[in-house]
Amino acid sequence: MAATLCGRLFPKSGWLPLTQSVRHGSKAVTRHRKPVHFLKQKMMAVTEYIPPIPAAPPGALAPRVRKTEEESALAVLLRKDLETLFKECKMIAVVQNNAINAEDLMVLRHKLKRHNISVKFFPNQVTRSFLSNSIYSNMLPLFVGQTVIIVSKEPKVKEMLQVLKHSPQMVLLGACIENTLLSYQGILNYSKLPSMITIQGELVSGLTMMTSRTVSMLRHHPVHLSALLQQYVKQQDPGDSTNVVTDKDTSTIQETAA
Amino acid sequence: MAASRGAVVLKTVKKIIVQFCPFESNVRSTREFLIMVGSEKARATNMNCEVFTEVKHDRSEPTVDITFVDGERLMMKGSKLTTQEMLSALQTRCSAKDPQAKAGDKK
Repeated sequence: MAATLCGRLFPKSGWLPLTQSVRHGSKAVTRHRKPVHFLKQKMMAVTEYIPPIPAAPPGALAPRVRKTEEESALAVLLRKDLETLFKECKMIAVVQNNAINAEDLMVLRHKLKRHNISVKFFPNQVTRSFLSNSIYSNMLPLFVGQTVIIVSKEPKVKEMLQVLKHSPQMVLLGACIENTLLSYQGILNYSKLPSMITIQGELVSGLTMMTSRTVSMLRHHPVHLSALLQQYVKQQDPGDSTNVVTDKDTSTIQETAA
Repeated sequence: MAASRGAVVLKTVKKIIVQFCPFESNVRSTREFLIMVGSEKARATNMNCEVFTEVKHDRSEPTVDITFVDGERLMMKGSKLTTQEMLSALQTRCSAKDPQAKAGDKK
């Protein structure tokens, strides 16, 4: 049997022996594991099942879209509150608090209440989301860490500064006064500004100064002349002092000549 | 994001001055450092330590200037540092100065 096998295995010359000839091959069905014929082994190796590469799971391909969490009702409420605050109040100051005491906070609030200034706390997230949608987006970098908002309808900066001086933990970061963003120095300068009436008065006086000067210069000569003539008349009435009169004449002549 | 060792111990610190410009974007870590240092716990460790804050608007870097009891000064420029790094730097220096006293107590 082996010899017949070998004969079939070498049909062409030059082929290497592919199999070892077995002296007594076992039958097809054996009790032990029969070594697989080499040809069969090759065939099986070639035709091995290559499973298809599973495509990426659908979750991996699509970008993870974070479910835009619906804002909680509280956040919506706070937002509305903020909106009304920004609309109503002329002065909004942002202050960072480094762990202020409860009693100090109460005292601060009390002092500020006297001037109608209120202290408000809002969560930073809500404030940031609100500000990014509104025109006050430049205030965004202020709201980092623990912040407190101090709002008032009237821009009473001096009083606020005085009250904040007493508590060193509250650090004034910036303020939005009458829709203008101010830094700390800006707030200080604003507090030193005089009131509107004085400024208006100063402006008016400055503008009219020029014109009033011209008017006074134009009137200067006739006014002086009339004053001198009046004095002349007064002096004529009591007595005849010719020296005084001649002096007067010469002085008036000099003035009109000049 | 508390400090790794709980509260900050400020026993050897005399004065802390923190300067920053709140409108810059790199001040977050400095501000958080200020909050950690100015917290009740930290201040309770040393009532004599003063914490000053200066708010500027000249686009300068945020800096932290710490003066220790023995006169040493630590300047930290916080624009590229994280809060943790600053806190750990401060704590290592504090504990380096302090253990002479602490070791004496323990022993």
